[in-house]
Amino acid sequence: MKKAEGVIILWWLLFFTLHAEGTSYSLPGKPTLTNCRSPEKETFTCWWEPGSDGGLPTTYHLYYRKESSDAVHECPDYRTAGKNSCFFNKNDTSIWINYNITVVATNARGSTFSDPVEIDVVYIVKPNPPEKVTVNVSWNKSWPSLRVSWDPPQKADTRSGWITLIYELRIKLEGEDKWEEHPAGQQKMYNIYSLQSGGTYLVQVRCRPDHGFWSEWSDSTYFKVPDYFPQERSIWIIIMIFSVFIFLILIWAIHMNSHTLKHHILPPVPGPKIKGFDKQLLKSGKSRDAFSSLVGSDFPPTTTNYEDLLVEYLEVYIPEEQGLMLEEGKDLHDGSLKSKSYTSDSDSGRGSCDSHALLVDKSEEEKEVGQKSNQQGGRTEMDLKRPEESPEENILNYSHANVGSPDVSCEKVKTWPSLFSPLTENSSGPLDQPDSPEMAKQHCLSDSLFPPSPLSSPFAPPGHKEVLGSNYQEYSFGNMHPHVLHPQTGSHQYLQAHGNMNVANIGHKGVPADLQLPPVRSTEYVEVQKVNNENMVLLYRVSSDAEKGCPGRRHTEEYSRLKGVNNDNGLLLLQRMVSEEEMNICPYEDQESSGLTDSGYTTSTAQKSTAYIPPATQVLDERVAGGYVDTSMFTLPIY
Amino acid sequence: MQAKMEQGKRKGKVAKQKETKTDQRLRKETEMAQSRTSGGKLFMAVVYMLATCRAVPINDLLNRASERSDEMYSLSTGLTKDLASHMSPLSWPAMERPALCHTSVLPTPNDKEQTLQVSESALMSLVRSLLQAWAEPLVILSNHASTLPHPARINISNKIQNLQDYSKRLGDGLDILSGKMGPEAQVVSILPYHGGTDLGHDRNSKLQKFNFLLSCFRRDSHKIDSFLKVLRCRAAKMQPELC
Repeated sequence: MKKAEGVIILWWLLFFTLHAEGTSYSLPGKPTLTNCRSPEKETFTCWWEPGSDGGLPTTYHLYYRKESSDAVHECPDYRTAGKNSCFFNKNDTSIWINYNITVVATNARGSTFSDPVEIDVVYIVKPNPPEKVTVNVSWNKSWPSLRVSWDPPQKADTRSGWITLIYELRIKLEGEDKWEEHPAGQQKMYNIYSLQSGGTYLVQVRCRPDHGFWSEWSDSTYFKVPDYFPQERSIWIIIMIFSVFIFLILIWAIHMNSHTLKHHILPPVPGPKIKGFDKQLLKSGKSRDAFSSLVGSDFPPTTTNYEDLLVEYLEVYIPEEQGLMLEEGKDLHDGSLKSKSYTSDSDSGRGSCDSHALLVDKSEEEKEVGQKSNQQGGRTEMDLKRPEESPEENILNYSHANVGSPDVSCEKVKTWPSLFSPLTENSSGPLDQPDSPEMAKQHCLSDSLFPPSPLSSPFAPPGHKEVLGSNYQEYSFGNMHPHVLHPQTGSHQYLQAHGNMNVANIGHKGVPADLQLPPVRSTEYVEVQKVNNENMVLLYRVSSDAEKGCPGRRHTEEYSRLKGVNNDNGLLLLQRMVSEEEMNICPYEDQESSGLTDSGYTTSTAQKSTAYIPPATQVLDERVAGGYVDTSMFTLPIY
Repeated sequence: MQAKMEQGKRKGKVAKQKETKTDQRLRKETEMAQSRTSGGKLFMAVVYMLATCRAVPINDLLNRASERSDEMYSLSTGLTKDLASHMSPLSWPAMERPALCHTSVLPTPNDKEQTLQVSESALMSLVRSLLQAWAEPLVILSNHASTLPHPARINISNKIQNLQDYSKRLGDGLDILSGKMGPEAQVVSILPYHGGTDLGHDRNSKLQKFNFLLSCFRRDSHKIDSFLKVLRCRAAKMQPELC
C-alpha cells in the first residue's frame, strides 16, 4: 500500500515536473534576419531579430552557404557588429556571389531555423556618412560665399574606382525646420551663395553608391555667416545721391527760367490790342469808359459837313447783257449804277463772293471766277478777256482768280451786299455797324483782286477807262471791266472803284468813314467819298499802313485824297502820310470832296502831294474797299 | 611600380597599334588622295583629321562607356523588380538548386583586391566577353517576354528590347575603346549559352527560367559596370575628382 502510494506520489511528482518543464520551456522562437549591409563592398554585416527564447537560454547561430558550393559555414564574427549580428570580414566576403544565410536559434529544447535569405553583397551597399564636413568662408567682391567640403567615408575606396559615391548636402538656418537640399554629384565640395549675413546655419552631407542605399546624414556642422554689407545697397545709395543732385539742379534751372516757363506753359491771355483801349478801365468794370476811347470822337461827325462826310458809293457794274452801264461820268454817280449793280444778277460781285467754295481754293476760285464772271453777265473782265490778248488774259485770269474769291476777298465780297443794301437806303447806319469790317472785307476783296502788279495796262482795254481801285469793283460787281465804267473809246483810263467802291450817291450820305479798307494787304485805298453834282467822284485815299487801334479798320490805311483829274484824265491823288497816332484813332481825314471828272474820273482836292494817276495806268491792282482807291496799286509817279 | 611599367608598356603597345593602324589608313588615304587632282592637300587634311581623331582621350571614352553600362544596369534592375512585383513571395516558384549562370565559367575577380590586380586590358577583355555572352540570351528573352505568363509582360518586353539596344551600343563602343588598349583587350572569350531556345513548358518553369536569366544578366551587367568604373578611375589621372 505504502509502496503503491509512493509510486503514485512519485509519478505525480514526475508528472508535475515534466508538465512544469513543458509549459516554461519550448523551442526558441523563429529568428528573422532583418537586414544585411555592406559599407564598402568589401565586408558586410547581417542582423537578426531573435524570436521568443522559449524560456530557456537560447543561442543563435548564423550559417551561410555560398552559391557555388554546398559547404555550410558559420558566421565568423558575432561580436564586432554587436548583438544579434554577424560580421563578415574581407576574407569571408565574396562579391558577385549569392549568400544563403540562415540564423538558427537553439535552446535546450531544440533549434529553430529562420527563413533563409539570399543576398549578393554588391546589392546591399550602404556607405557610412561622409566625414570631416568643413565650411570655409571666402570673399568675392565683398560678397561672402561658403564652401562646404567633406571627405568620403573612410572605408569606402573611391580612389581606385571600386566604389563610386554620389553626395548630397542640406542646409538650414538655425531654428528653422525646413532643410534646403542640394545634390552635389560626385564632387566633394559645394559652394553656397545668398546667405543671410550674420546668420547661423547647419549643414549636413550624405552619400550613396551609384547602385546602393543612401547613407545616414552626417553630423550637423554649424557655421556663422559673417556680417557683410550688401553691395547692392551701396550702389543704390550712390544712385540716390546722384538723382538728388540732378533734382536740385533741375529745380534751380526751373527757378531761373520760371518766367519763360510760365510763358510757355501758361501763355498770358492776350489782352485787347486796341489802341486807346484801356484795360484797366475794363477791369474796373467801367465798360463805358473803356469803350469810350474806341469811339471816335469824330464820330458822329458833327463838325464837318455831312456833305463832306458823305461818302457816296459808286457802284460800277456793267453786266454784259446790259452793256456798259457807266456812261460818261454820269454812270459813275448815277444812282442807277448802283441800282444797276443791284439789278445785276445776284452773282455779281456778291454771288461769287458768297459762295464758300471760292474761299477754299484759288484754283477753284479761278474756275469759279471764270464761271462767275460768266455768270455775272459777262463781267467786264470776261469781256476784257475776249478782246484782249493772251497776256492780258492771263492777267485777267489772275485777277479773275482773285475775284473768284481769295479768302479775304470772299469775305469782303460777302459784305458787299450788306453794304449795298444799306446804301440803297441811304443810310449810314451800316457804316457804323460792324459792317465796317464787312465793308472792309469788301475792300479787301478789291484789294486782293488786283495784285499790286502793274495791271493797268493789261486791264486797259482799248477804249475803256480804268477805274482806279477797281479791283474790288470789278470783281464784286462783275463789271470791273474798266471799260465798262467809262466806255470811252481810246481812253484807257477807267475809274475803277475798288471793291468797295462806294457808289457815289448824290445826296446820299454814306458814311465812308468807317468803310475801312480791309487790312489784307498794305494797300492804299482811295475812297470815293461822293459823287457830286458835277459827276465827280470824290475819292479819298485811304492809307493802308497804320491800322492799329482802328476799329473796323483792318489795317492802317492811308487815305489819299483825290486831288483831281488832270487833263489827261488822270486821277490826282494825294498821298497822305498818316501818322500812327492818327491812325490809332482811325482818323478819317482828308475827306475832301473832290471833283469828278466828267469823264468819270474822280478828283479830289489835293492838299498834299498828289499821286498822279496817269490815265494810262490802270488802277486795277488797287484795292478798293469802300470806295477807296488804293493808291499803292498805282504805279504812279508821284508829283 | 610594376603596374606603372606595365602601363607604360601597354601604352607603347597601344601607340604602336595605333601607329600601324594609322599607317594603313594613311596609305589608303594617300592613294585616294593621289588619285585626285588635289592629292596633296587632301593628304594633309586627312593626316590632320587622323591626328585630331587620335587626340580623343581614353578616359573620356571610358567615362562614356561607364555611363552606358550604368544605364544598362539600372534597366536590368528595374526589370527584375518588375518581374517580382506582381508575384507574391509565396507564389514565387521556388527555384531548385539554382543553376549557374552560363557566364560563370568565365573567371572574374570576386573581391576588390582581385579586381584591382587585374590589368586594364584584361578587365576590358572580361567586360567585352561578358557583354558578348549575353547577346544571344537577350534575344531569347525578348522572344519569350511577350508570351510570358506575367501581368507586366508588355512592360518587360519593352525593357528587354531597350536592353538589347543598350547592350549593342555598349558593345560597339567597347570595340573602339579596346582598340586603344593593349592586345589583351582584343581577346573576347566566347561563352556560349546552352540553355536552349525556350524557357520551359509550364508556367512555373517559364517564370523560373526567365527570372533566373534576368538575375544572371543583372549581375553580369553590374560586373561590367564595376570594371569599367575601375578602368575609368585608372585612366583619369588628370581628373582625380572623379575618383
